[in-house]
Amino acid sequence: MPDPSVSLPKPERWPVRGTPLIENPKFQVRNLNFYYGDYHALHDISLDIAEKKVTTFIGPSGCGKTTLIRCFNRIFELHPGHRAMGEIMLDGENILAKGQDVHALRAKVGMVFQKPTPFPMSVYDNIAFGVKLYERLPRRAMDDRVEWALNKAALWEEVKGKLLESGTRLSGGQQQRLCIARAIAIRPEVLLLDEPASSLDPYSSLKIEALITELKADYTIVLVTHNMQQAARVSDFAAFLFMGDLIEYKDTDTLFTNPSSQQTDAYITGRYG
Amino acid sequence: MWFRRLLSAFALLVPLVLVLIAIFLISYAWPAIRFNRLDFLLHDTWNIGNQYANPIVRRGATIMPGASFGIFFLVAGTLGSALIGLLIAFPLGLGAALFLSEAVPRRLGHLVSFFVELLAAIPSVVFGLWGIVFLVPLLSHHVYPILAETLSFLPFFRRPTGSGYGLLTSGLILSLMIVPFIAATLRDALASQSHAMREAGISLGATRFEVATRILLPGQKAALAGATMLAFGRALGETMAVLMVSGNALNYLPQNIYSPISTMAAFIVAQLDSALADPTGMAVRSLAEIAVLLLLISLLINGLARFMIGTLKEHTL
Repeated sequence: MPDPSVSLPKPERWPVRGTPLIENPKFQVRNLNFYYGDYHALHDISLDIAEKKVTTFIGPSGCGKTTLIRCFNRIFELHPGHRAMGEIMLDGENILAKGQDVHALRAKVGMVFQKPTPFPMSVYDNIAFGVKLYERLPRRAMDDRVEWALNKAALWEEVKGKLLESGTRLSGGQQQRLCIARAIAIRPEVLLLDEPASSLDPYSSLKIEALITELKADYTIVLVTHNMQQAARVSDFAAFLFMGDLIEYKDTDTLFTNPSSQQTDAYITGRYG
Repeated sequence: MWFRRLLSAFALLVPLVLVLIAIFLISYAWPAIRFNRLDFLLHDTWNIGNQYANPIVRRGATIMPGASFGIFFLVAGTLGSALIGLLIAFPLGLGAALFLSEAVPRRLGHLVSFFVELLAAIPSVVFGLWGIVFLVPLLSHHVYPILAETLSFLPFFRRPTGSGYGLLTSGLILSLMIVPFIAATLRDALASQSHAMREAGISLGATRFEVATRILLPGQKAALAGATMLAFGRALGETMAVLMVSGNALNYLPQNIYSPISTMAAFIVAQLDSALADPTGMAVRSLAEIAVLLLLISLLINGLARFMIGTLKEHTL
C-alpha cells in the first residue's frame, strides 16, 4: 500500500478559484468526469475532502452533487452505463481504479440515503446485518456493537425496549437514525449522507443535524443537501456545483458570507435553484 | 348511469358463475355424497359394479351390485404428485427469479423472462405428449435405475423403477408447468422492491446476491407464500399432462416414487366413459363428487394463499 502521507500534487491549476488547500485530505478528487451513458454529468472535478470535517455539496437539482457523492463508494456501479473517469484517492489509493476491492471500500465508506431504508427485519438485525458481512462476532460482542452504534446515532434510548420489533415500524426520523447507526456499526471512516434529512419533519431534521455535528469528531462526513440553512449550520467546507461544474469551493463561512462567484451568490440567496 | 349498471352486471357475473357451478356440482353429486359417506375418502376401491346384473338398492340408493366408490388412492396420487412438483419447482423458480432480477443485464433479463413466461403458455397436452415420447423413455431407461441405485438407502426411492409412467414423472411434468408461475411472481416481487433498499444493502458492502436473498426476499414472504400456494393449487388441478404420464393407476396406492398413480382431475377424464355406462348414474355422480372435492380443495388453497399474504404483509410491514 502506498504511503498515505504522500499526497497527490496539486493540479497544475485548480479549476476553481479559491479552492481551499486542505491540510489533511481524506479524499483527493482529481479530474473526475462522470457519464450516464453518453451524458456528461460531471466535468473535470478536482477537490480535497478534509478528514473529520463536514463537507457539503450544494447546488440546484441536476447540478451533479448527488452524482459526485455516489462516486466515493462506487455505488453508481450498480447501474449499467454509469461511468466515472479520473481519480479519487482515499488513503493513497485510487478507489476508482479497476480491481479495487469495493467490499473493503464500502467498509471504510458508509452511506445514508435520502429516503430511510430500514430493512424488513428487527431493529437489532438491521444493525447486525452489515456487521456480519465483515466480522463474526459472538453474541455478547454483537449486542455491545448494536448498542454502541445505536448510542452513536442517538437512537438507543428510544429503541432499547424494542430491539426485536421490525425496523420498519419506527418513525421516519428514527428510521433515518437507524440507517445512520447501521452505517456506523461497521465502523467506517467516512459517512456519505445524501440529503439525509430532506424527507423528515423539521424536528427530526434538527436531530439529524445535531447528530452530524457530533459525529464529525470521529468521521469524515460528506453531506449533500438542498437546505441552505442546514449546510451553513453543520458544514465546515462547502462546494457549490452547477450543471456538472464545480463553481466554488471554500470554507462554509466564506462561501455563504462572501461568495466570489455570482452564480453561487444567486443560489445561496435564493434567486434560482 | 346505464353504463355503470352494465359494468356492475358484468362484475357480478363472474362470482355468480362460481356460485352456480358450485351449486350445480353439489346438487348433482348429492346422491353420491349421501351414498358414499366418508368411505369415499377413506377407501381405495373404485368399482362401478357389475354392469350386466340387475340394479340393487343399498343404503337407500340404486346401484349396480358390487359398486363401491373409494378414492383414497386418488387423494394420495394428487397430493403426492403436486407436492413433488412443488418441491422441484420452488428452488428452480426461486433460482430463476434471482437470476433474472439480479444477475443478468436488464435487457437479457426481459428476454429470458419472456421465454420463461412462454413456458406457461404451452398447452398442457403438449407437455403430456412430450412426456410420453421423450421424458418417460429417458427416465425409465436411464435416470430412474441410477436414481434407485444411488438413493437405495431411502425407502421410497428403491426399486422397482417401473415403466416410467408414475408419481415422479408426473411431479416432474407438473414442476415444469408451475415453474413459470413461481419465477414470474418472485421476479416481480423482487423487482417491485425500491431501488433504495437495494442500494442501501450494497452500500454496506453486501453483494447483489446477499441483498436479494437476505434483504429483498425476506421482505417478500407474502409473495413467496402466495406464489407457492397458488402454484400448488395449479398442480393439484392439472389434468391432461398428468393423465398422459401418470400411468392411470386404479385402486393402487403408490409403493415407491416410481409407482403409477392417478390424480383426481385425471381420473375424472379417464373414467368418464365407463361411468356413463352405469345405468344407475351413481358412477357419474361419484365422479362429480370428486369434482366437488377438487373444487373445495382449490378454493381452500386459494383462500389460504390470500390469507397468508394478508397476515404476512401485516407482519412484515
